[in-house]
Amino acid sequence: MRKYIFKRVIAAILTVWVLITVVFFLVRLMPGDPFTNPKLTPEVRENMESYYGFDKPLIVQYGNYMVNLIKGDFGYSMKFTNKTVANIIGETFPFSADLGIRALVLAVSFGLVLGIVSARNRGKGIDFFCVIVAVLGTSIPDFIMGAVLQYGFGIKWGLLPVARYEGIEYTILPACALAFYTLASVSRIMRASMLEVASQDYIKTARSKGLGEFRITAKHQIRNAIMPVMTVMGPTVASVLTGTFVIESIFAIPGMGKHYVDSVSNNDYSMVLGMTLFYGVFLIFCNLVVDILYGVADPRVRIGER
Amino acid sequence: MKRRLIAAIMTAAMAMSLLAGCGVPKSNSSGGSSGGSGDSGASGEKVFRFSTRTEPTTLDPSKGNCIPDTELQNALTERLVRNVKGEVKEGIAEKWEISDDGLVYTFHLRDAKWSDGEPITAEQFVYSWRRLMDPETAAPFAYIGEYIKNGRAVEVGDVEPEELGVKAIDDKTLEVTLEHPTAYFLSMMGLSSLFAPLRQDIVEKYGKDFAADAEKNVYSGPYVLTSSANQKWVFEPNENYWDKDSIKLDRAEMSYVQNQSTALAMYEDGELDFSEIPSADAPNYEGQDHTYRNGNVDYFYYNCDSENEAMNNIDFRLALNYAINRNSYNELVNNGMFTPSTGLVFSGLSGVEKTYGEESTLKGYPMDGDEAKAKEHLDKALKALGKKASDITVTITTTDSDSAKKQAEVCQEMWKTALGINVEVNQVTYAEMLNRQASGEYEIGWGGWGADYDDPYTYLELFKSDSPYNYSKYVNDEVDELLTATQTETDAQKRMDMLHEVEQILIDEAAFFPQAEREVHYLVDDDVEGLNFFHCSINLDWVYADIVE
Repeated sequence: MRKYIFKRVIAAILTVWVLITVVFFLVRLMPGDPFTNPKLTPEVRENMESYYGFDKPLIVQYGNYMVNLIKGDFGYSMKFTNKTVANIIGETFPFSADLGIRALVLAVSFGLVLGIVSARNRGKGIDFFCVIVAVLGTSIPDFIMGAVLQYGFGIKWGLLPVARYEGIEYTILPACALAFYTLASVSRIMRASMLEVASQDYIKTARSKGLGEFRITAKHQIRNAIMPVMTVMGPTVASVLTGTFVIESIFAIPGMGKHYVDSVSNNDYSMVLGMTLFYGVFLIFCNLVVDILYGVADPRVRIGER
Repeated sequence: MKRRLIAAIMTAAMAMSLLAGCGVPKSNSSGGSSGGSGDSGASGEKVFRFSTRTEPTTLDPSKGNCIPDTELQNALTERLVRNVKGEVKEGIAEKWEISDDGLVYTFHLRDAKWSDGEPITAEQFVYSWRRLMDPETAAPFAYIGEYIKNGRAVEVGDVEPEELGVKAIDDKTLEVTLEHPTAYFLSMMGLSSLFAPLRQDIVEKYGKDFAADAEKNVYSGPYVLTSSANQKWVFEPNENYWDKDSIKLDRAEMSYVQNQSTALAMYEDGELDFSEIPSADAPNYEGQDHTYRNGNVDYFYYNCDSENEAMNNIDFRLALNYAINRNSYNELVNNGMFTPSTGLVFSGLSGVEKTYGEESTLKGYPMDGDEAKAKEHLDKALKALGKKASDITVTITTTDSDSAKKQAEVCQEMWKTALGINVEVNQVTYAEMLNRQASGEYEIGWGGWGADYDDPYTYLELFKSDSPYNYSKYVNDEVDELLTATQTETDAQKRMDMLHEVEQILIDEAAFFPQAEREVHYLVDDDVEGLNFFHCSINLDWVYADIVE
């Protein structure tokens, strides 16, 4: 296992390096530059270019960037000129992560329950209900979901604040809006997987052994059925925890989401790179955790390793 | 059995939902959250809560480069003078003299203090202005200091910052020498934090992190910034401000709310006291809304270097201009929310006595257009070009925003219908649009401008041949001469006449295709008083706001 993790970490570092290199050169191909303000005069532009070192050859800039990166310095944002990229991520990530964790807990717990219940009651009313939830969840875009919740609970009934993120009551609506899609997809995957496992030989064996339904479901069926859900959890955790543009914009949450979009449209090179790096490392980390958890959940993976 | 399993899982899920977030750093609103929906009355505190759609880019007074930056600094910095709604009032300077040639300004400073109690001295202005112009600082709007003697030379690195035309005679006397007499120098200085004093000790203490957040600066203005965390800026009155009796609020809170509909919802829910209305929602608020004009004008450029020979024909361009029905245009593109316009200079700018628009004698195109006249000019153009109308194709290049798309499509339709020519629309990103303006790769291009200072020159300069803003590569000697002359003319009326003349030439030559002046619709609580609106640099000036019972 240790050797396996070590190998994965080396592969991860290489992946991140390739990612950063590709993005470093790709952002320079975007039209415009970070100083896209029609009011800037050529003189000012020149001063700003030398301030950020753009007057040096690209390969030198790349070298400098990599050296700084190894030292842990992501540089200064080119749009928010007196903030470092690390500073901005440090300020915004806690909000996104907080919201993401709440949404994830909601989504995974209720999604699993829905999936299990509907698989156990296949074809009955409750199954039908679960399927409807799943279809709605995957087909309603989050900006509609967010706006509807905001209008209903925030404005119409006045039960919850409509926006911002300044206390526990502020977190409920955005967490629900964000959770809905994941909840629906988790329940769909879980339901399908439960049904598939139900027809396996070992379930029949368990049943013929005279085990109770509860033990069969809890011990044999769920444990085996949960593997596909775990597979999607890696990327899901990464994307939900690092912020979403739409939900954060609708609920005016000071999270990271907007920087994915804004840094690109502002041509804020250092910010684009910082966000890419952060997201990349986080995604790789989540996938690694999932792989390790596989081993815990499924002994066959461990045996395969040896 | 099965039920118990479900119950167990549900319980666990709920417990986890409650626990979640506990391990994560919570938002610390640092005295910011005004007690739920806490309006001013509840706690007896006077709090003004509003939002900004664009996040301020910096807290460094010298590096501001957009309206939100300037508005924020307006509350935090004090300049020599303060411009309130176009009126120049005393600031740190309690009186000043201007030399007869209009070049030398001598300011006498009052006994004013920084928020930490240190005195504000003339030397701190000198330091700040030198820093602004120093190429090392790379201040985005440094060009505004080119009005000061040697400003440009310092900016490009030809001479040292010490050569800048500003010096401290003593602690309380500041002498400023200008490059040329500038009628709007005081007005401009009163609007911009780029001219605010700075504390060398503070700037050097924090280095590159100077003003990175609220704690890393001291303040000279009416308010101090107590928090800039979590995309919310909290202002509290500066106890050391020289004119603190004029400040009524106990606190102001500005939240960053990118989504305009969200801001409106927050206003509806009582979480904000002021909100702009997105144009799509404007019809729903008729009768409740207020408006101000932000000095932004919409128009199209034509590229004088373009290879489309039709575009270089005056009559053809006049035909295009006469073919636009600007009243219908405004209804179709802007829901009727803006003001249709046939000029370049925002009509609300200050003139000599009244506004520029009221004093104007411009002969523009009729607001409803004039199809007969358009055809007349088209025929002349076609004869000169030796072409049929259907042989002519012009391309509008514009940005990818929805409003820009509508803008282009409405003109396209009007030109096609009235003139029978072919019009194509080409959409590119905003950054690419600016690129193309600079490189001249367009025929008819999206354009828009807002005032940097309260003077027509800020718009007309767009058509001065040596201006960095001459995006249409327009060259007209008469325009150049008049504009240059306005820079030295000290008689206000004569100078203004020249500026009117320049605009008339641009209209007669159809040098651009004017469309509309923007208007902002907003909602504000009845108990908020003393908000000022202005059309350049500072749209919303809430410094003197008050919450009345």
